[in-house]
Amino acid sequence: MKKPGNPLRFGTLALILVLGLGPLAGQNLEDKVHARTLKNGLTVLLIERHGAPVFSTVYGFKVGSVDEVAGITGTAHLFEHMAFKGTPKIGTSDFEKEKPIMEDVDRVGREWSLELAKGERADKAKLARLREELTALEAGQSKFIVKDEIDVIYSNVGGVGLNAGTGTDQTLYMISLPSNQLELFCLVESERIRNAVLREFYTERSVIQEERKQTTDAVPTRLLSEMFMAAAFMAHPYGHPVVGWASDIHSVTLEEALAFKNRYYTPNNCVLAIAGDVDPAKAWPLVERYFGDIPRGEDPPVLRTVEPKQLGERRVRFEFDAEPLLMMGFHKPAFLTKEDAAASVLAYVLTSGRTSRLSKDLVQDKQIAVSISAGSGPGQRYPNLMTFSGVPRFPHTVEELEAAVLEHIEKVKAEPITDRELQKVKNNIGASYVRSMSSNMGLAMTLMRYQLLFGDWKLYLKYKDIVDGVTARDVMDFARTYLTPENRTVAVLVKKAKAD
Amino acid sequence: MNNRTILKRTFAAAVIAGLSLTAAAQRHPRELGPAPELAFKLVRPATFTLDNGIRCFYLEDRELPLVSVTGLIKGGSLHEPAGKVGLASLFGTVLRTGGTRKLTGDQINEELEFLAASIESSTGPQNTSIRAGSLKKDFGRLVELLADLIMNPEFRQDKIDLARNQSLESMRRRWDQPYQVAMLLFNEKLYGADSPYGRRATPASLQAVAREDLLDFHRRYFAPGNLALGITGDISQKEARAALERVFKSWPKKTVAIPEVPPLAEKADGTVYYAAKDTPQGNVWMGHLGIAARSPDEFKVKVMNDILGGGGFTARLMKELRSNRGLTYGIYGGVSEGIGRERGAFRIGSQLKADRFVEAIDLVKSIIRDMQDNPVSDEEIATAKNSLVNSFVFRFEQKGQILSQFMQLKLDGYPDDYLDAYIENIRAVSKADVREAARKHMDLEKMIIVVVGDEKRFDRPPASLGGKVESIDLRALQEAEKVK
Repeated sequence: MKKPGNPLRFGTLALILVLGLGPLAGQNLEDKVHARTLKNGLTVLLIERHGAPVFSTVYGFKVGSVDEVAGITGTAHLFEHMAFKGTPKIGTSDFEKEKPIMEDVDRVGREWSLELAKGERADKAKLARLREELTALEAGQSKFIVKDEIDVIYSNVGGVGLNAGTGTDQTLYMISLPSNQLELFCLVESERIRNAVLREFYTERSVIQEERKQTTDAVPTRLLSEMFMAAAFMAHPYGHPVVGWASDIHSVTLEEALAFKNRYYTPNNCVLAIAGDVDPAKAWPLVERYFGDIPRGEDPPVLRTVEPKQLGERRVRFEFDAEPLLMMGFHKPAFLTKEDAAASVLAYVLTSGRTSRLSKDLVQDKQIAVSISAGSGPGQRYPNLMTFSGVPRFPHTVEELEAAVLEHIEKVKAEPITDRELQKVKNNIGASYVRSMSSNMGLAMTLMRYQLLFGDWKLYLKYKDIVDGVTARDVMDFARTYLTPENRTVAVLVKKAKAD
Repeated sequence: MNNRTILKRTFAAAVIAGLSLTAAAQRHPRELGPAPELAFKLVRPATFTLDNGIRCFYLEDRELPLVSVTGLIKGGSLHEPAGKVGLASLFGTVLRTGGTRKLTGDQINEELEFLAASIESSTGPQNTSIRAGSLKKDFGRLVELLADLIMNPEFRQDKIDLARNQSLESMRRRWDQPYQVAMLLFNEKLYGADSPYGRRATPASLQAVAREDLLDFHRRYFAPGNLALGITGDISQKEARAALERVFKSWPKKTVAIPEVPPLAEKADGTVYYAAKDTPQGNVWMGHLGIAARSPDEFKVKVMNDILGGGGFTARLMKELRSNRGLTYGIYGGVSEGIGRERGAFRIGSQLKADRFVEAIDLVKSIIRDMQDNPVSDEEIATAKNSLVNSFVFRFEQKGQILSQFMQLKLDGYPDDYLDAYIENIRAVSKADVREAARKHMDLEKMIIVVVGDEKRFDRPPASLGGKVESIDLRALQEAEKVK
């Protein structure tokens, strides 16, 4: 049996990308990757790896929580859930009969949601009447619903890992299949992109309310991270959580979700990667045939908001029924800049492995903390943060840990990192590029992300050169420029004093 | 196995290209023809035994210039003395961090990390596993260090103290998340607080562990006859074997008898355990003991699990509680097999909408009851069996995964043809078998229910779940554990 507690489908992607520095050595990767952009703008990467007779696929749309505005936070994620509900052909026993009922569901659901959004001032009687009406309509529609048919179809042919994830920058859909199922994949997924039908919307909205409680409200690290990001970003939408604020998840309408989808789910805003036992000569005609005639859409809107320069330290202190935690972050430039690469190297030197500075000094020698990790987040498309997350060890406090981390940061500003430290980082990044090529899904995800967010999968190879070019001086310059008190946000969770 | 079992579907593209532009998609998958044959051969590692009796499993993988070695040594927390719970876990950590007679743990860290290589170890209930990986060029050094750690660990006191301090901190933090708390209490109640399966380390039991205990654990279990090694990567069997003979040659032949662990007694008696915590959802684990390893019902139970709660969105629990009613983000469960002579568990866990909490659990019970009283549908059993059969190929996706699968099966005493017969065994399961398995291996009367949450937010009090209710005071448990 699959163990309870496995990662669930439709997770929001982790807020902080821990800097494992993903990938690579270029090991003939260029020979294995075949890239093509269809007439409608969909870019497809076929990655040949002829091991076991299986392939993994992931496609992503360049849309995430960063594309949401106040009132509809969580919509990118909500729509991701809805993409599993089928099409006019899949998930229904009779779409013609189902359709008019769905339109009524949409109308009553909207009215109910708008009333709900009034909160305390909502008309309770009206709410009850609308809820009842909605329930009756949903019951009527359910007679035509073939439950979770996409799951059933893939399960029957041996598909594994049907899943999706939403992040700040992108929304991803994945599945792995035996290699004789490529046409089935093309059929189901092209249908889903072209014609998703948003069945069971209001039930799914309720699922997401529970998802938020389970994965954020009951999890101290996630709750702290949410407050931390909201403090670090005043204006830029990186400040709101991927899962959305509870009020918005509570009241967003099917109409809003669909409008959001139509704006961003276009082939010209999508990259598909297929990695594994695929023969390009057979795969290209299938890909062209199924995905090629999805109509191109308008270019997605440009995000105008730029986070203003931070002018002073921001602090969050939060009491909760849990042991203390620390988060700290500094604004920095976006991915693929020299500054970002210097930050990656620094994060490695400070917290990666047992020989890193903070692990050695704070975790193993002074034992102020049980763990400390540096990273970059919450996204890569726009300027973001270099982050530090630490778990103090009793009786040491978050304040002590914060001071100790800052002391190390000052040291980096004062003296260059050593040649051996720098070489170690580069050795590890080189090896991680090789290791990243040992899994179909890992490779598909990595290359897809570079193509989708930055326009060229080959930047994955170039990124290694950027990091290789980082000098000890660059790291020191980065620390002096960005790791300053006025550019800092600190969030701490402290244990709530006993209620009784 | 051959490929007959995989559904077939034809690539029709070449023939139909140009025939219709819009009809390509906008079809139901059932309108596709049969899929092409899937060529799949079960890959099996080679095995050989070193001069001193170490059993080795080997699988070549020339794709990338990497090598990896995994060692498995029987003996784990089930075998630690009752007053020293936590010994095995500490052992698993300090085996690596405490260094060897020749090298400190810090020296090993420095050398491995500079090479972008790693060796990590941990000890679980049944065995210690130690995993090593490096670039091909560093294989010789990697296995030298690995062998030194396996044969001559030093368990330096400073690293014992560090590991203990880290464990003490995680004990403080194990009460922070309600679902984990429910899991922890469930294990204790299911197996019994005194049983090797249900007891948990406390600050006191951890403080009682001394360096001599770790050395003793090592002397007792670490011997060539009790070690299995798996090697895969860009290296020939001959080279791998020669290197391993060289690094382990000073280790004298010796076998180990693994002590028997007293068999588990069923303690589940229908009690509802309620622990109050101010948290937004109702967290629950419920169940009782499961089936033994190599039970004749193994495959019936596998199919039943897939239909009940193991098969993601095609499973009844997920379909009804999440997809139809929006009561949870996820619910999984089923009956698991034991390992060795032991029994697994029947268990279901979820984090549920608080104001419909009791309603949701009643629903779980009625889903179980229905599986006991009525046959599953033809579609359900077909999907479950097809899924298990057709996804079998994914057990062979990665070389390292194939290797560790064979090693684990061998160590757990499965017959050599277990995987060869797997698909036929799944295919033989009938609807009557599924119903029989549901009746035999799930008992709603006996099942315990552990609840962590805030009853003021529940639709009905925990007492309405049936059975007697026992309250658990989390704060008192936490206080009792505080380091003095």
